[in-house]
Amino acid sequence: MNAIPQLLFDALSLGGIYAMAALGIALIFGVMKLVNFAHGEYIAFCVFALIVPSTDAVAVMFLGKAPAIILIPVLLLIGAAIAVASEFFVFRHMRNATPVAMMISSFALGFVIQNTLLLIYSSRPKAISLWPELNQPVSVAGASIPLLQIIVILTTLLVVVTLALLLKRTRIGLEMRAAAENFTMARLLGVRANAVITGAFALSGALAAAVALIMVTQTGVADIRMGGQIMLVAFIATVIGGLGSLPGAVAAGFLIGAVSVILQGFLPLEVRPFRDAFLYTLVIISLLLRPNGLFAPKSTKPRV
Amino acid sequence: MSKLGIFDVAVRYGKVPALSDVTFTVEEGERLFISGPNGAGKSSLLKAICGAVATAHGRIEVDGVVLNGRTPEAIARLGLTMVPEGREIFGTLTVEENLRVGTGIRRDKAVIETDIDEIYQSFPILKERRNANAGALSGGQQQMLAIGRGLMTNPKLMLVDEPSLGLAPNIVDQVYETLVNLQNDRGLTLIIVEQSSARAARVGGRMLLLRGGAVVGDGDAAKFAESDLLKEAYFGQDQAEDAI
Repeated sequence: MNAIPQLLFDALSLGGIYAMAALGIALIFGVMKLVNFAHGEYIAFCVFALIVPSTDAVAVMFLGKAPAIILIPVLLLIGAAIAVASEFFVFRHMRNATPVAMMISSFALGFVIQNTLLLIYSSRPKAISLWPELNQPVSVAGASIPLLQIIVILTTLLVVVTLALLLKRTRIGLEMRAAAENFTMARLLGVRANAVITGAFALSGALAAAVALIMVTQTGVADIRMGGQIMLVAFIATVIGGLGSLPGAVAAGFLIGAVSVILQGFLPLEVRPFRDAFLYTLVIISLLLRPNGLFAPKSTKPRV
Repeated sequence: MSKLGIFDVAVRYGKVPALSDVTFTVEEGERLFISGPNGAGKSSLLKAICGAVATAHGRIEVDGVVLNGRTPEAIARLGLTMVPEGREIFGTLTVEENLRVGTGIRRDKAVIETDIDEIYQSFPILKERRNANAGALSGGQQQMLAIGRGLMTNPKLMLVDEPSLGLAPNIVDQVYETLVNLQNDRGLTLIIVEQSSARAARVGGRMLLLRGGAVVGDGDAAKFAESDLLKEAYFGQDQAEDAI
């Protein structure tokens, strides 16, 4: 056994999931200063979209039966659709509300989605087996790594690179970056507020779907509460990364993933169950030292 | 064509009135300075025109099209652009990206590249720093960029809010020279908020004097610079008499 490569793969794959979830939150915060706490519920919604609606204890695959080449794009579209729908029916009507009011409605929306799932699927976690072959170990650098971990790492890379290219090279990307920095000014230059915000929600929802696919393959469980924990970590990552900074969100996602894996690996056995207490203590220390985040965007105040 | 009409326009922030019953028109190709003390409503007036703040009542028209109730992005599509106070350039975008943000509304995609070259000819420093983050530019360069960015929307009417704010006097000269040249070349209608009536008089044009949210004077900027009206607007009537 080789512990170091094992830890490295654990850290990168866990960090990758956190980074993708954090990106989903940072994208929306960037354009409309909304911390969307319903993001975790988008993830749960996408997981349940894989199975036949029923309150039975045994999950029957629905979309989950489709081959990957159909399943993946359809689920990404479902994620994008629920995010865009929540913008259209809820957040669009709150454009002039305070960030706190928007945040509270995002909590409310999250509960609505969660309770809808509860009604349709019941609160019992269900075992579902999506692509079980991906949990087969493969041997890399002397370590035995589940294939899924490698796929997660590659997927994260692909998502980050695609998103970076989209933001850097396309018209809508340019408009999104301009709007994220100064929404009113972007509108004064003719950038359509609705298009940019809808675009951000669609991307965010697709990211939630990607996270959902990874989580369900990894854990083999569909649970209506499964979005909550990851949403919390992702939110912390966006804060530590400097709210509004996309590279910061990615970096902080990986950082939190790495720190949890290191704590898990090196804490004495008797305190290991309290790993999260250590993790969040570090979070508090980092915020005390750098209240604007470790990777806060540089000041863009006009120079005189 | 770009004739601007402001009829009986009022702006309020909550219950605080910023502008009350302002009426004036601006002809196509005209240069209008808006002057007045702090809190006179100069910026509120520009913001009301470009749709950044809502009007409490009144009507704003460009070439007979009513602007009230339209979004800022819709107003920009009518050929109206704003160079705001404090420049508000996008500091995390490159200089060239800043110039391209406003080109999304143009139908004449083919000439965008030529237009960017033209901007670079007017402002060679922007070409030199085209790939730099705009936040790293000096104040004067940022002002040039903000003007260039506005021009890239291919406007007929340009609103410029306090272009001289925080700039060294020789840089201000340069900014005004550029604005006047651009106006002559393109037949732009230009509305400029300028605190310094002396500056406005030197550049030349019509001047509208605001005080307490109302128009208190309208005429040739050069004449204003000598008149008592200006002192009255800034200090109130009593103090103006004392000053004389």
